[in-house]
Amino acid sequence: MAGLTEAQVQDRIREEAKKALATGEVSAVVGWTSTRFEDKTKPYFAETEAECDLLVWNKYCINGTGKFALDDRYPEKKIAIIARGCDSRALNRMLRDKQLKRENLYIIGVVCDGKENAVCEGCQHKNPLTYDVLIGEPVEEQIDADRFKEIEAFEKLSPDERYEYWAKQYDKCIHCYACRNACPACNCVECYADQYRTGWQGKAADREQNQVYGLTRAYHVGDRCIECGECERVCPMNLPIMRQTKKMLKDINDLFGDYECGLPDDAMPILGSYKLEDPDEFM
Amino acid sequence: MKLAKKDLNKALEILSAGAIVFAPTFEMIEDKSEGGQTMAEKKFMPYKEGMFIALDGPNTVKPPKDILFPNVEKMYRYKTGVNAEIQEIIPEDTKKILFGIRPCDMRSIDSMDKVFLTKEYVDSYYAKRRENVVTVAFGCTEPERTCFCDSMGIDPNNAPSADVMMNVAKGSNGDAFILEAYTDKGKELLEQIKSLDGGAGEAQRDTKCQLQINKDPELDKKLAGMFEHPIWDKITKGCIGCGTCTFVCPTCYCFDIDNENYGAEGCKYRCWDSCMFSDYTRMAGGANPRPTKKERLRNRYMHKLSYFNERYGETLCVGCGRCVANCPSHLDISEFIEKATAADPNAETYTDAPGKEA
Ligand code: SF4
Ligand code: SF4
Ligand code: SF4
Ligand code: SF4
Ligand code: SF4
Repeated sequence: MAGLTEAQVQDRIREEAKKALATGEVSAVVGWTSTRFEDKTKPYFAETEAECDLLVWNKYCINGTGKFALDDRYPEKKIAIIARGCDSRALNRMLRDKQLKRENLYIIGVVCDGKENAVCEGCQHKNPLTYDVLIGEPVEEQIDADRFKEIEAFEKLSPDERYEYWAKQYDKCIHCYACRNACPACNCVECYADQYRTGWQGKAADREQNQVYGLTRAYHVGDRCIECGECERVCPMNLPIMRQTKKMLKDINDLFGDYECGLPDDAMPILGSYKLEDPDEFM
Repeated sequence: MKLAKKDLNKALEILSAGAIVFAPTFEMIEDKSEGGQTMAEKKFMPYKEGMFIALDGPNTVKPPKDILFPNVEKMYRYKTGVNAEIQEIIPEDTKKILFGIRPCDMRSIDSMDKVFLTKEYVDSYYAKRRENVVTVAFGCTEPERTCFCDSMGIDPNNAPSADVMMNVAKGSNGDAFILEAYTDKGKELLEQIKSLDGGAGEAQRDTKCQLQINKDPELDKKLAGMFEHPIWDKITKGCIGCGTCTFVCPTCYCFDIDNENYGAEGCKYRCWDSCMFSDYTRMAGGANPRPTKKERLRNRYMHKLSYFNERYGETLCVGCGRCVANCPSHLDISEFIEKATAADPNAETYTDAPGKEA
């Protein structure tokens, strides 16, 4: 991979992390560390030089790191993020949405080699898109011709069949909000679902409230989804929720042309902006 | 009594005549789209003829607690305006059998009993459901790598508070079970299926957890003095504040109360809540005494390992490992227990890389 071995990348990560902390301008470096299970790593905030040596890089580094930049919205120091392609897109997402300031970030980009994670198969951006320092040689990106294959197949079902499928899925949902909390596009200061007594969204894990939550979430993030797959990965009940945002992205692509989020020169989210030449045959 | 594995479905068939029998099985959700897969989730479901009973293997993702403490419990309906009225909703009087629950989950029911039925307050909804439930516990045969109940003082082979205890019969290679009644309810249950009795036998009870952890036997007391300890800052950073750990936990019993309104009518319900949510401690004016994940995760660990001991004399973590297996951030309460066991309670700083600091 990209000229460096896994172990070399790990060394470089630790080295860059230490350098970042040594500047005195960075409070912590967010990456991954090991757990008691060989095939699991967890997000980790290295705050001292010695803790930087606990950072790891292997195929099990699957958790998104970008969202942790939001933990402190008014930081006194920068936060350093070890960013794979998807993490850099997550950061671009939050920058575009004006939830983060670039000057509060120090981005240690790492060219990704693909992880033990279903979403990585279709990844089109293994090279970090935004960074302050880059580890590894950029690789040639694969263009995933099948980006919407699953959606095309699902669209062929009748509305009743699709409803039945989603009803069963949402009956399983335990309303834990892991999908929201892991998602870099879910970056509102206060989520509508946490607002006190909206009267139409509560915490009850029943069919109605689960579905209302599912639909609302999909609409809120559908035109800003960076396709990192975190929502689906974290769901303890295995709901295939990426299907919803992918469906939105597919429709946007069909109606408005090529559209992908989290790129450095990201345009305004398509549903959050208006152009005279926007398609309007439904009006 | 001895029950042959091939008679398991017959037994549940007989028991189903007088009760709803909940047993662990796989729910299939078929995806009819091209190349779609059938998804299977292990969960407790009401017995239906021919249902596959998934007794061994990993435990269910969702604990069986919702049979006693449903995720959503409607409490009363009301009308407002000139025709105002209130109508209480009482859980139906249905007999239920909880079949094949694990010793950790049985022990979690003991904890919930303490919460909902003791200390001078009886929760009528819980009480109604509880009195109608008969429990048949099953001794674990293949603990998962995340199971650490025996380190928490629970025997994966035996659930002393169950109505019936069921184990694999020694030497049967899993083809027969030994069932023993521990209570009158249990005796009644075995009486119903005695036509299937294959005689005497000995129960196999030699299962040990894969995950053995080093826990201070007095950790509850130690933690009580560690509320301001720097360990909390460090170990909570990776948490994303979802409700997964609390909702998959068999002993989490918190609920919120809300209403559902349709014009001039509505219904008051309670539903599971989680101390990992930001609004759990938010007050009406917006102030929040647990403003970040540090305070929230500290509360969860403290409640599981210290506060509950103080009030009820037992730990609230039964070591089922569900939160360990399902946390999106791969945080691990068993790892915390070991770290807290090793920590100096009076330390002023905490690092994961000790001995290397300048
Ligand atoms: S989505 Fe792409 S960049 Fe992100 S981990 Fe997978 S392969 Fe790497
Ligand atoms: S992560 Fe899954 S179970 Fe949790 S709220 Fe989202 S869809 Fe529901
Ligand atoms: S500990 Fe894990 S499961 Fe629990 S709230 Fe934090 S991230 Fe979610
Ligand atoms: S805290 Fe975790 S391991 Fe302990 S009982 Fe709850 S889910 Fe199981
Ligand atoms: S850990 Fe939290 S949600 Fe669970 S019972 Fe305790 S306070 Fe309630």
